[in-house]
Amino acid sequence: MDKSRRKFLQHSALASTSLFIPQFLSGFNLGLDKADVNSRRKLVIVQLSGGNDGLNTVVPFRNDIYYGSRPTLAIPENEVIKLNDEIGLNGVMAPMKSIFDDGNLCIINNVGYPNPDRSHFRSMDIWQTASDSNEFLSSGWLGRYLDNYCMDCEVHYAMEMDDSLSLALKGRQKSGFAASNVNKLHRSTKSRFLQAVSKHHHDHEHSENVAYLYQTMRQTFSSANYLHEQSKIYQSRQTYPSNKFGKALKQTAELIISGSDTRIYYTALSGFDTHTRQKNTQDRLLENLAQGLTALTEDLKTNNQLDDTLVMVFSEFGRRVKENASGGTDHGTANNVFLMGGKLNKAGIYNGGANLSSLDEGDLIYEVDFRRIYATILDKWLGADNAEVLNKQFQLMDFV
Amino acid sequence: MYDLQKIQHLSWRAGFGLSIREYQKLSNVPLQRAVDGLFKSAKNPAELPIPEFGFRSREERKSMSDEVRMERKKMGKAHVFELNTDWIERMANEQSSPLLEKMTLFWHGHFACELKLPHFAVQHINTLRQHAVGNFRDLVIAIAKDPSMLSYLDNRKNKKEHPNENFARELMELFTIGRGNYTEEDVKAAARAFTGWGASLSGEFIFKSRQHDYGQKTFMGKTGNFDGTDIIDIILEKRETAQFIATKVYRFFVNDKINAQHINELADVFYASNYNIEAMMRALFESDWFYDVKNMGVKIKSPVVLLAGLMRTLDLRFEDRKPMIVLQKALGQILFNPPNVAGWPGGKTWIDNATLMLRLNLTSILFESKEVNFNIKAEPERERFKKLSRIKVYADIEPIVSRFRSMDEQEIVEKISTYLLQTPHEIDTTILDKVVDKSTKESFITSLMMRLMSMPEYQMC
Repeated sequence: MDKSRRKFLQHSALASTSLFIPQFLSGFNLGLDKADVNSRRKLVIVQLSGGNDGLNTVVPFRNDIYYGSRPTLAIPENEVIKLNDEIGLNGVMAPMKSIFDDGNLCIINNVGYPNPDRSHFRSMDIWQTASDSNEFLSSGWLGRYLDNYCMDCEVHYAMEMDDSLSLALKGRQKSGFAASNVNKLHRSTKSRFLQAVSKHHHDHEHSENVAYLYQTMRQTFSSANYLHEQSKIYQSRQTYPSNKFGKALKQTAELIISGSDTRIYYTALSGFDTHTRQKNTQDRLLENLAQGLTALTEDLKTNNQLDDTLVMVFSEFGRRVKENASGGTDHGTANNVFLMGGKLNKAGIYNGGANLSSLDEGDLIYEVDFRRIYATILDKWLGADNAEVLNKQFQLMDFV
Repeated sequence: MYDLQKIQHLSWRAGFGLSIREYQKLSNVPLQRAVDGLFKSAKNPAELPIPEFGFRSREERKSMSDEVRMERKKMGKAHVFELNTDWIERMANEQSSPLLEKMTLFWHGHFACELKLPHFAVQHINTLRQHAVGNFRDLVIAIAKDPSMLSYLDNRKNKKEHPNENFARELMELFTIGRGNYTEEDVKAAARAFTGWGASLSGEFIFKSRQHDYGQKTFMGKTGNFDGTDIIDIILEKRETAQFIATKVYRFFVNDKINAQHINELADVFYASNYNIEAMMRALFESDWFYDVKNMGVKIKSPVVLLAGLMRTLDLRFEDRKPMIVLQKALGQILFNPPNVAGWPGGKTWIDNATLMLRLNLTSILFESKEVNFNIKAEPERERFKKLSRIKVYADIEPIVSRFRSMDEQEIVEKISTYLLQTPHEIDTTILDKVVDKSTKESFITSLMMRLMSMPEYQMC
């Protein structure tokens, strides 16, 4: 027996091959050319947590019901950045006008799902898992994409710019990777002991779960190294908001432009639950959002990456049409979704404005199931079959 | 195999591991006596005191201003956090019954329900404790009448004119018989049978006869003027219900991977005993296969088990209890707040790169003041994040040190790793030599323990 080791229990052989599997292979069954195109494509998801008030984001500035329902909160016509004769953006989002004019922004209104749930947690779970509202899934839609199309990808193929991982990126088998700051992550893996443990070759066979822990550990260390190296290649000079959200978008742009293997990026901006004093809070957040998205778009455009990137912005629900007595709005239902990128098939306002004349107990009625947007992204952008990921087939849309 | 190794396995699955005192005490005890001890202490639990939080009248509730309402909500939340940390401390406490706490945790994940109001939360947990190793029929009926569950699954809105199917559906899908054993017609009939089941302001069950549907219902092939209890009885007549619960028990207490034969054994006992929970759990803990090497150290500790186990092993207390909540959030399991009615999926879903790194670094964070710098996701109503930074804890490992200090280093490594790790492991002493502090026996034992608890193997039980 090797003198340097003491072995306490029965050992046999463990083959640790997880790290040496060939890198990214995508667009299976699609032929090489298409796979090649898909492999360059990036998807960026921006989640607005708390339920963003869509009607004060994309403003129906010709609509009397809107102004009648919101005597103090409605945005006056002269403060609206007009996108057409009826609809415009909240004035604090002015920087996004040029993205719209360049044909790089598509706004889909009245997005939701049947039997809407007004609980933040539940509705966010529904959006993140792509479930029906009476169905409980413990895997996310992007996680299931990884399960079906990316079992052999590096773990940083799908990344959330956060310290913890959202349900959206958790699959049944495979999950995405969480890192709010790749350099901080890299430092956290520097423990000499853990590094040694992870490299240690085990002679005995682990149970499946122990093997899974070791595999996750090694992948984390290897991805932390990889991302740390990538982060040195390109440093952005664009001005992003100086908060956590801005930093997350900046890291997203830097990794995309550096040519990282990462293809899916997930980030969140929180605080949209504006039951009281909505105006100040929402204006500040939307200003942040617009600044961040504009910087990201500029960054990607300057570096010839905008054509290969698709950005989706969503929130778990919109808010009620009527304002409440505290200068805010309460939880609602349908909302708008933004899609951005250099290769949109249909830019502009996708399906007209919100329909305020036909409400369900004061709430907007959804017209587009959000899973049709996911399905379109999966099929047309990522080259997947949406039914395999969403558990049923959804009708595709034309934005890409 | 000595009984101590089996007892240790039993203690992790039926509880939260063994403190060094218990480890010592049980080293000469036959397995059967250890099993008997667990059940003896789990029976007739004391009721947890119900805090004052309810409204005295509907008027009081209605007349509340928005500010008072918000203030009350905040107080309730803080109170529930207290109850949460109290529970974790009970799990870690040698004086309480480990099996009772573990079974209650199991039922909390099974009858998953968000518990927001402190007085109702205690009432709910008391119900789970009272029936934890009692009769499953009593438990299901008590849960169907529980104020938190009645409101969580909308049965308060379930009225003759507008039946609400939420509770009836989950009762069958998640709580008793499982998918594939009932029809949509059965859901509709069951919902009608539960119409009028509600709760008073103080949390007592009330049957509102004016809202109850007294008509004929056809449910699972039987026709009659059924009420909720009849529906539960008809569901329990089906052996599939025993099978469904036995499968869930097996996954939680034995192995993520099911073994059909072992589950059948449990289901048979459960069904034949008219759903006596103790009978089924005894059959499990007294079986040979439970102690099979294939079932030892193969479960990933849930965050709550990890935390309570760590506290029990090291006699550890948090100076400020808030980090106990933040750790639960960061690791993905918050007591009283399951992700949805399906409970915590468990197994590998506990693990991603972020939670694993936090788990592996946990002892360094707690004992070496390693900076954590971990931001918890913001809650919907907030913009800011909670930050997990330095955490102050007290631990007493003197009993561990004095138990092992007379041994030589090699024996210490062997004995302590056997105590701390439940799964086959090997210790590379060339690595250990570099990271263990050999200046004194005490520092050797302490630093060795910290390293062993940072190994992936420590995550297993």
